[in-house]
Amino acid sequence: MTLRLPTGGLIDRSKPLTFTFDGKPHTGYAGDTIASALLASGTRILGRSFKYHRPRGLWGAWVDEPNAIMNVTLDGHEFPNCLATTTYLQGGMAARAVNTWPSARFDMKAGLDLFHRWFAAGFYYKTFMWPDWHLFEPLIRRMAGLGAVSPDHLDTYTSDQTHDRCDTLVIGGGPAGLAAAEAAAQSGQDTLLIDDHAQLGGTAHQLPQIDATPTADWIAQRQSAIEAAGGRILTHTTAFGIYDHGLVGLAQNGPFGTAPRLIRLRAARIILATGAIDRPLTFANNDRPGIMAVAAAAEYLARYATLPGRQIALLANTPQADTLAAQLTQAGAQVTHVDPAQSPLSARGGKRLKALQAGDRTHPADTILASGGLTPLVHLWRHAGGSLAWCDRRNAFLPGTPPDNMTATGAANGSFETDEALEHARATGQNTPAKRPDPKHHITPHWPAPGSKGRQWIDFQHDVTLKDVELAARENYTSVEHLKRYTTLGMASDQGKTSNMPGLAAMAAIQGRPIPEVGTTTFRPPFVPVPIEMYHGAHTKQLWNPLKRLALEPQHRAAGAALGEYGGWLRPGWYGKGDPVQQAQTEALMARQTAAIFDASPLGKIEVMGPEAEAFVNFIYYNTIATLKPGKIRYGFMLTEGGAVFDDGVIARLDANRFVISCSSSHVDSVRTHLEAWRQDGNDPDRIFIHDTTQHWATLTVTGPRARAILDTLDLDTDDFPHMSLRETSWQDTPLRLARVSFTGDTSFELSIRASKAPALWSALLDAAKPLDAGPIGVEALSILRAEKGFLMIGKDTDGETMPHDLGFTAPRQKKSTPFVGDRSLHTDKANAPDRKQLVGLTVPAGAPPLPTGAHVVTDDEIPRSLGYVTSSYLSPTLGRPIALALLENGTDRMGDTITAWHLGETRQATVTAPCALDPEGARLDA
Amino acid sequence: MRDDTALWDAPRNPATPISLGPARLTPVHLTRQTLVSGPNVLQQTDLPLVDWPGAAPSDAYAAILRRDRLLLVNAPETPDGWNDTTQQATSDVTDAYTVFDLTGDALPLLGRGAEITPDIPSRSTARQLFGLGVFLYRMEDAKTYRLHVPRAHAEALVTHFEKAASHG
Repeated sequence: MTLRLPTGGLIDRSKPLTFTFDGKPHTGYAGDTIASALLASGTRILGRSFKYHRPRGLWGAWVDEPNAIMNVTLDGHEFPNCLATTTYLQGGMAARAVNTWPSARFDMKAGLDLFHRWFAAGFYYKTFMWPDWHLFEPLIRRMAGLGAVSPDHLDTYTSDQTHDRCDTLVIGGGPAGLAAAEAAAQSGQDTLLIDDHAQLGGTAHQLPQIDATPTADWIAQRQSAIEAAGGRILTHTTAFGIYDHGLVGLAQNGPFGTAPRLIRLRAARIILATGAIDRPLTFANNDRPGIMAVAAAAEYLARYATLPGRQIALLANTPQADTLAAQLTQAGAQVTHVDPAQSPLSARGGKRLKALQAGDRTHPADTILASGGLTPLVHLWRHAGGSLAWCDRRNAFLPGTPPDNMTATGAANGSFETDEALEHARATGQNTPAKRPDPKHHITPHWPAPGSKGRQWIDFQHDVTLKDVELAARENYTSVEHLKRYTTLGMASDQGKTSNMPGLAAMAAIQGRPIPEVGTTTFRPPFVPVPIEMYHGAHTKQLWNPLKRLALEPQHRAAGAALGEYGGWLRPGWYGKGDPVQQAQTEALMARQTAAIFDASPLGKIEVMGPEAEAFVNFIYYNTIATLKPGKIRYGFMLTEGGAVFDDGVIARLDANRFVISCSSSHVDSVRTHLEAWRQDGNDPDRIFIHDTTQHWATLTVTGPRARAILDTLDLDTDDFPHMSLRETSWQDTPLRLARVSFTGDTSFELSIRASKAPALWSALLDAAKPLDAGPIGVEALSILRAEKGFLMIGKDTDGETMPHDLGFTAPRQKKSTPFVGDRSLHTDKANAPDRKQLVGLTVPAGAPPLPTGAHVVTDDEIPRSLGYVTSSYLSPTLGRPIALALLENGTDRMGDTITAWHLGETRQATVTAPCALDPEGARLDA
Repeated sequence: MRDDTALWDAPRNPATPISLGPARLTPVHLTRQTLVSGPNVLQQTDLPLVDWPGAAPSDAYAAILRRDRLLLVNAPETPDGWNDTTQQATSDVTDAYTVFDLTGDALPLLGRGAEITPDIPSRSTARQLFGLGVFLYRMEDAKTYRLHVPRAHAEALVTHFEKAASHG
């Protein structure tokens, strides 16, 4: 039975399109949505409800449709959860209703509805507690959810992201939006009008004429006028959210199968002309296929020349319903107007509607058009922080106190009469204050009646019924926010567009409170579902938090480096293709036996300069820096105000007013920010300046007993150059900073040279190293070398509560006489607590493997308690045994104790030692 | 321990221009980039000051980064460190920033990475572009946009431009 009218609508009858729904072939026209084409073909069941798998037809005609959700395949690619009412038809589409099998019409899970008494709101909170929720979880998860995501990855599905701005953004291209945009553009404002349909006009298409002009002409005139005045128009574009400072998120849809474009729009002024949607009426079996919103029927008739049915019961008392009744009758439908005040109401029929029972009267009908009144779409208004005001005459929440630079007009403002709405919209467009027109009609309220008989749906998508709301109230979930979470009302993909008002009205009735006192839930973006792809755009894979790249990366690749992320940089973990663990062992042993070259370029090179630089770094550091002489280096900690270790590293003094902070590789950005914050707060920012020069330099470390020999080859003078010294020299006529510092415990030199000269220096060092059987090492080997010495890595061997005295650095806390960041916090009860976790070493019995990193040191109590955990653990190739570092409660007093380490159900024994496992006297430093 | 080498494209040849549809990204070799900070640095320089959108000459100029900081481009060499006479801190950062000129239909590409328009001036050339910190301004011809990006993020910036250009 076709419901398509022979003429009319906005469809292009010269372009028929074939498609399938649940495997069955159908035909529609260009300009149809999947929903309108199916409705025209007489298809009544387009989906199933989420929980009970009840058959569902169309309620809405656009974004307010809760049930017609489909997986759509086109050109071999499947796209999940397409709303049939907003998906424009294309030839060759294969649509399948989600959450059904084998089809929406015959769904195997429909039998679940027979057990609905056991599936009330929150049933899973109560039912699946014993013996274990996880027993039921897999099955429940398989049964829940909507469409399935195709495992095929579509490389072309990428969202463009761009920025735009305008003086005036008009959201909604209906009559009010068009009039407002025209007025704004003609008054000289840079105006942008957006509409989510393919064609402008909104509800105007339902009217034969506007301002005594045929509607199509009126729309075309407004469009021409806007563009002639310099205004811009974007169709297929949805404003899905409004954020701080006038930022509007726009999703611009392209052809089906392409990702929408994200436009971040900054608008000086926003005019909201988003219209209004119908509220469902709550009566028994009000979810049956064939029960449709009055406004939706008007849209299907006007845009798609499709009747909602042939024998229609019109259950509404709005003026819009009267107009529609006349149009439907003229189009050939048989319309019976029924007063919704009659009681009780119930729909009769199953998959096909048979009648509307109103009191003791039965009205045969294949379709029921229902409306409890219009609800303005105020979602964006609320995103922006506007308040809502309850209107008794309209029975609706209207825009109240406006957010900054936003005005609502048209039906979104509660103006449901076209002429008044246009007048208000034009004034709004011109930025002239205008009073909201008074309504001509007083809508008689028809809200859910608690206690009434029959299954009455509140949320069509999530299968929340009036009884569920009553249950929630009985269990004291009376706040609308609690009601929402307990029943899942409004939590479906339609975000409660049709269910929120009946839901809160039901709760109000149950509690005997006025609706505005119950209030609404929070409106949050997005207004309509948008693909996650749109949010991240190009920020994925290599561009998702892009790593910093070394100047020497080509050389490392050529040397066979295995690259990985280490502290935000792409760095060599090891070199060569063998077993990574063995490679790291070999490299570490080489460093101990001869020498190694390590690319330490990410180490911070933050310069602090100025007449108060000395006082500043002395204040920033836990350690005393003021006594540092030019040409010397000192190791130290920076602390947070809470006294926790923020970073460690060395600081070098170049001259009286100039220091270089060599902070941890992964902390350069945060240390720079830390320094800038303190520079500008509590210090004289005109006498201290901070330059982060890290990326100007490349730093190459030469370490090991033969390190000095390698530098000799480069004619770099290392005589009379004690540990913790720095020289500014040159190599090949290029300035070079030579620092004598060690993170391995062996003789070490750090050579810093401008990055463009790094390849030459790297090559020279490797050439010099080769005859000595020395070579490059990666981060993994360095980690072993430093752990052998008990040198810590901030963030790995410390946590957010570690203080310097937990690491054995106690002197400044006791003796430093000048203030420093974190000072006060080092003298609190917490800082002096006897059970603080302190850095210790751990050794395992001979022959035992290394302890797992992260293993907890536990008490031997019946219920063990964690005393700390292993922070670093390696096999030391130099010592030929495992080594480990740990943070352990009161660790320094446990030296020699045997402890128990627990990891994934297994326990191990270990002995507490000092952190330094190799060369505790430091003899290798000057070997 | 995981070898992620294959997840990361090898760096491009830093000297090769990159075609971006109607635009072009050309690496620029500058003789010198110098970071200068001081309480009166904006008033002390003899070089033309460049802000956003700016009109940078082809030889030497000073890009404003903030009220007390300039990036001197192709300025004469000066010693690094603190100068008591001028009350300025100076650091050579020539290799810290990779520099590109963006020519052709540049604004749509820039608009994909930042909320930016030449119609709204800014005293500073410092921007977030595709989430990366850059210095951005226009050259004297008003068609060429110059970008300084921290060297370690140059690959990411170029890749962002390529992705943006793929959307036309």
